Amino acid sequence: RITGPDNQPVAGVTVMISGTQNGTTSGVDGRYSLNAHAGDSLIFHALGLQTQQVRVGASPEINIQLSSGSKGLNEVVVLGYGSQRRRDVTAAVSTIDVSKLRDVPATNVSRLLEGQAPGITVKQTTGAPGKEMQVRVRGLGSLGAGSTPLYVIDGFAVGNSIGQNLNPADIATITVLKDAVSTAIYGARGSNGVVLITTKQARSGETNLNVTANYGVQNVPDSRRTKVLNGRDFAEFKKEAFMDKIRYFENREPDLSEVPADFRNPEDTKYNTDWMDEILNRNASFQNYNITFSEGKGDVHSLISVGYIDQQGALLNTRYKNYSVRANVEGKVNNFINMGLNLYGAWSKQNTATTEGRSALVGSALLLDPREPVRNEDGSWNDYIGGHDGIFGFTNPVQALEEITRDRQIGDALTTGYLEFSFLRDFKFKTTGNARFIFDSYKQYIPSDIAGENAPPPRDATASDDAHRIMNLSADQLLTYAHDFGEHHLDAMVGFTAQEEMTRGVAGSATTFPDDKTPYLQIGAINSGVSADSGWSMLAYFTRVNYSYKDRYLFTGTFRREGSSRFGELTKWGNFPALSVGWRISDEPFMPKTSWLDDLKLRGSWGVTGNNNIGNYSSLAFMNLNNYVIGDQFVYGRTVSAFANPDLSWETSDQLDIGLDLTVLDNTLTFTGEYYNKITTDMLLPVPLPVVSGFTTMLDNIGKVRNRGFEFGLDYRKRINAVNVWGNFNIAFNQNKVLAMRSENDVIWNGTMYGDFNVSKVGRPIGMIYGFKNLGIFQNQKEIDESPTQDGAIPGVYKYYDANGDGVISYDQTDMVEIGNPWPKFTWGLNLGGSYQNIDLSVLLTGAQDYDVFRQIESSTLNMDGVFNVLEVAKQRWRSEDQPGIYPTTNTWKWERESNSRYVYDASHAWVKNISIGYTLQKSKLKFGSVRLYLSGDNLFLITKYPGNNPDVDNNGGINPGLDDEAYPVPRTFSIGANVTF
Amino acid sequence: CFIQFSCNKDFLYKTDPTQIKTDDFYKTPAELEQAVNGSYSQLQGIINNQWTFNELPTDNTTIDFNPDDRGQADRIEAFEFYTVNQGSVNIEGLYNSYYSAIFNVNNTLQKMQQSEIPDSVKPAYEGQLKFLRGYYYFNLVQYFGDAVLITEPIPTDNPSLAWDYLRKPVDSVYMQVEKDLKDAAAELSPDPNIGKATKGAALTLLGKMYLTRKQYAEAVSTLKQVLSLGYSLVPSYASIFDPKTENGPESIFEVQYDSKSDKGEWSTFIYTFAPRKSGGAVTRWDQSNPGGWNIPTNDMINTYEAGDKRKAASIGLDYTSPDTHKVVPYIKKYDHPHAIYNRTDDNWPLLRYADVLLMLAEAINEQSGPTTDAYTYLNQVRQRAGLKAVSGLSKDAFREKVLHERRVELAFENWRWFDLKRTKTPEELASFLNAYAAKEKANPTASRQGVPYSSSDYIFQPYEALYPIPNSERLVNDKLTQNEGY
Repeated sequence: RITGPDNQPVAGVTVMISGTQNGTTSGVDGRYSLNAHAGDSLIFHALGLQTQQVRVGASPEINIQLSSGSKGLNEVVVLGYGSQRRRDVTAAVSTIDVSKLRDVPATNVSRLLEGQAPGITVKQTTGAPGKEMQVRVRGLGSLGAGSTPLYVIDGFAVGNSIGQNLNPADIATITVLKDAVSTAIYGARGSNGVVLITTKQARSGETNLNVTANYGVQNVPDSRRTKVLNGRDFAEFKKEAFMDKIRYFENREPDLSEVPADFRNPEDTKYNTDWMDEILNRNASFQNYNITFSEGKGDVHSLISVGYIDQQGALLNTRYKNYSVRANVEGKVNNFINMGLNLYGAWSKQNTATTEGRSALVGSALLLDPREPVRNEDGSWNDYIGGHDGIFGFTNPVQALEEITRDRQIGDALTTGYLEFSFLRDFKFKTTGNARFIFDSYKQYIPSDIAGENAPPPRDATASDDAHRIMNLSADQLLTYAHDFGEHHLDAMVGFTAQEEMTRGVAGSATTFPDDKTPYLQIGAINSGVSADSGWSMLAYFTRVNYSYKDRYLFTGTFRREGSSRFGELTKWGNFPALSVGWRISDEPFMPKTSWLDDLKLRGSWGVTGNNNIGNYSSLAFMNLNNYVIGDQFVYGRTVSAFANPDLSWETSDQLDIGLDLTVLDNTLTFTGEYYNKITTDMLLPVPLPVVSGFTTMLDNIGKVRNRGFEFGLDYRKRINAVNVWGNFNIAFNQNKVLAMRSENDVIWNGTMYGDFNVSKVGRPIGMIYGFKNLGIFQNQKEIDESPTQDGAIPGVYKYYDANGDGVISYDQTDMVEIGNPWPKFTWGLNLGGSYQNIDLSVLLTGAQDYDVFRQIESSTLNMDGVFNVLEVAKQRWRSEDQPGIYPTTNTWKWERESNSRYVYDASHAWVKNISIGYTLQKSKLKFGSVRLYLSGDNLFLITKYPGNNPDVDNNGGINPGLDDEAYPVPRTFSIGANVTF
Repeated sequence: CFIQFSCNKDFLYKTDPTQIKTDDFYKTPAELEQAVNGSYSQLQGIINNQWTFNELPTDNTTIDFNPDDRGQADRIEAFEFYTVNQGSVNIEGLYNSYYSAIFNVNNTLQKMQQSEIPDSVKPAYEGQLKFLRGYYYFNLVQYFGDAVLITEPIPTDNPSLAWDYLRKPVDSVYMQVEKDLKDAAAELSPDPNIGKATKGAALTLLGKMYLTRKQYAEAVSTLKQVLSLGYSLVPSYASIFDPKTENGPESIFEVQYDSKSDKGEWSTFIYTFAPRKSGGAVTRWDQSNPGGWNIPTNDMINTYEAGDKRKAASIGLDYTSPDTHKVVPYIKKYDHPHAIYNRTDDNWPLLRYADVLLMLAEAINEQSGPTTDAYTYLNQVRQRAGLKAVSGLSKDAFREKVLHERRVELAFENWRWFDLKRTKTPEELASFLNAYAAKEKANPTASRQGVPYSSSDYIFQPYEALYPIPNSERLVNDKLTQNEGY
């Protein structure tokens, strides 16, 4: 009789006599029978439970209790199109135990990956509610295509984004596939890594009702806010700047009357507005509720969950809400047929805001004139900030947050279902159908009283309305075979998959409204519409063979042949092979049987993967509409859109991985070490073309990039009397280098000389921060005269390095050099936890070391010409040789705004991401069940010298990395929660 | 496809259903017509920014300085203050827009030859395309000097050929301009099909080219052919620019704009040119936030002779800035009532009959001194403006007179830069512009509101008679040479 962890009988357990084909399956009552001899070993295997092996003795009856939790080496790891016991895995795969992260106030599933596994870098680049984080597996693999991993939810490859509707509370485990042998089965989508997300299923034999509630408040800590001048100091700054100009240019002492009245008497400054303070939503609430009911008894297991997330943003009026329901059903139709169906539906609603970049609300809040009030004395909006007396004109950001409608609503239905037939004992055929339907709508209305940049209201009100739907369908057919021949184990799988995605939508816009009361397109005097229709398709055949001998020598081979609509007509199909070997050294007879060594495995893999993340029709050229007027009548005109490339194909990554898995001290300590070398070739890149071709770029497969590095993971768990402790440390060192491009001297420039300027050069890492090297400040004319010619330089401006040594600082890229490296030497994560009696504690830390961020916002917040407010530190500006200060003069703007090393900061940091403390009231004390109460602090302490709000900021991403031009601030959240199980 | 193990072959062949693939185009006369229209459309893009390069650096116009926003300090303003360098994004934009336009001309010409379109319809299209190509190269050679000459599309299967095209000497470029414009003149009909290039347009431009090259005999004979094509001066100078009377008898070639359709064919010149703080005072629409670019200089305002009707038609002097309480002048030629905010109907007058007459007068004078014919042509233009006929001038004085007449007659029509370059050596141009700049600096047309000039402002050096080849292009192809001085 076989029972589960709850002592209930378990049906459907496979019982095999080791080394033979003889076996049976347990019945509903958990009973089984088969003929075995004393000395045989019986293997009990059931999904979700630990596999156990028992030697047959004299007794005719062997009763066994299988334990759940499936920790350690017998844990089943989910892989692409299948699963494997942890001890048999010969690939670089990281599994994330989501249950440890239950107190983290996550609104997006990507948050669950943060700090959890080596080689997986997760950056919260913006604090906008619900937003998906930036996830990279083993560095930036691509120069031109996307670098986000492929996300697979319950076997359904949904694409390069999780989206924002998937409820984190529904997730059971996340597995990240990193090396080629695990990702090559996903072919042309595998080279950036694959994230397999598995949702919760009912636990066998249990009936549970679980209710969680979490309430928190979010605030942007003062320590992480940028300090700018207050109203009076700004007036003083302007006044002095004005007088300094006369002193410098006219060489005389100015009279106070020459100062514009606006700044003449700083002490009379009426208002003092801290604009950042005004746009923050103090004590913004965070709420998250989930109810999960699961029924695991009987042949059919089911789990139903309902979730609700309500997050008010750290900025005013940026609330995000998500409602979700899930039903996961799985069960046995008869002894030959299993089926499963996961249904998920969610709807989210969000007030968004334009927050990223200097010109958007957060950046402009630093630049706005602090002497202006938010509202006029009569209570009306002060609707245009600045725009006079030499001060840049801006939108009132508070008014923009309150009055502009930017309403995003996304409906998401995600379903996967399968039928599995077992036949001829060793064969299984599984057919899977997946469908996702997304309805995404966005409505925006900017009323006429909202100012623009240097454009005072009233302006034309504008409305836009966009609604599109995405239908993603896929089907997999898998045939698997598994058999043990004595000490030889063989399992094999062949499969076929087809997938298609179709997007359709309409978008309309309108301007010129009679008033702001009816913000609908048809009311606008001028309106226009666009309909969109696009899609892609993919077909693939694939196979995987696992072979092992004595559990000691392990081999895996996979092969995929994939065709994609995205590639050129001449290059539709590609092949993606991979191989791996594993050697369990600890099982070798020559290894001394020491008590502390549980398992030692050496493994290596190699394979080829692809990246097809380049947009749908990139290989094609189309006729753009370019119309004209003939005979006073509109006529259609067309011109060519792009330089076509019918040979365009996927990026190819060739990856070698060598790993070591070590388990010691009675399974308490696990170590994993990994070396990898991934070379990506045929990069999808816009290759610069001489414009005489008609175009400045064409998309081509060129170049070679290498990412190589080491990853280490250490996991410890131990029970010492009544104390349970566990810890997990991971660290990854990645080096990224461009090995080749179109030609040896070829470079890829991104950005402009006024900032966000990155360059990718052969022999260097991707996207190095580029600019003038700042040598300090010119103190006097003599110094200027003795230095390389810097046209327009006057005392007090930055002195730049003449890189090409031609005696002239050119006002272009020619004298620029690498001024920063945006890639950390290493990134790390540390999870610590413990429990004693009813109390538990867990801590999550993350960090990154030795990398630079280009704080581009400072080319505006330290733009000394006085059109913007400036940083508090700008008081220490250059006034004269006697008052040299550390920031440049206000007398000119030239040589202050260019990309230069002054704005580059080391962003190394350690971040206490989360600490939570829980208290559990056991079932024995409560009649209805158990209750766990907890306190959690999120984004708690940031240890860094970086002056911005968030060292993880990355406004552009891709090959334009390491840019801080201000983004939605990342708040600190304190929450309390309860978890009740009935 | 999802349940079988094989799919229809088409499953993996997807194209954008909302667009036509390039390979499926250029098959019918209607498609050819669209391709040619597309080329005219690219001309609109070029004309929209042309004032930056052709008027701003000259004594004709300056800027309504914006102390609140210095974002254009090294962009548009660099053309006013002579601080253009090879990193200028505007130069990059200029360069790219011309070669993009030339590519579509070359491509359509080639695709037309390969298509099965009846030969009888080809010359009319060919003529229009060659007219455009002639115009583009004529401008390029004047902006940059030696220019990359390309007259066929780079094949998509061999993009590396694009690196082989290097700058050709000025003479070779002009040979191509001459060839294209001669072909166009031969292939095009004189009948005006409003908006399209005609024989008259090709001849006028060809004549202008000869004048620029100082081939005066050819200039005279070519321009004289235009006289017999039925063009005439219209009585009212202002009406030339009025959308109600656009494409009139004086018009030889206008870049067309129209606000009737919703598809973006309108112009917005006055929104760029109206004084910065004028709101709706000039544009008539209160929600306007005009650019304040390209405003007439004091020098320009004062250059009109008394009684010249063209002054009031060309320059608005009725707007006073609320900040400085001073008049900020603006270009009036492109300021007309329009029914929808930010959508004007104003065409751009590229070639007109008055230009032909003045060019003839100039060419004849250079060839044989101020003959009766030369006076006739010059005085026709003067008299229409309400001015007295001139007579009895020396050859040099006549030359000065014609040039002055061109300045006021063709004010703000983007000819000033080329006229100055054509009539002066780089050194003469430098001293001329520096003299103008000194006056403007001493007494700016629009107030700088206390912001001092930068030390490098308003210093024109002879090498700046040519614009720099954009650095972006030289980064791509390091074999491209740069103009001296940059």
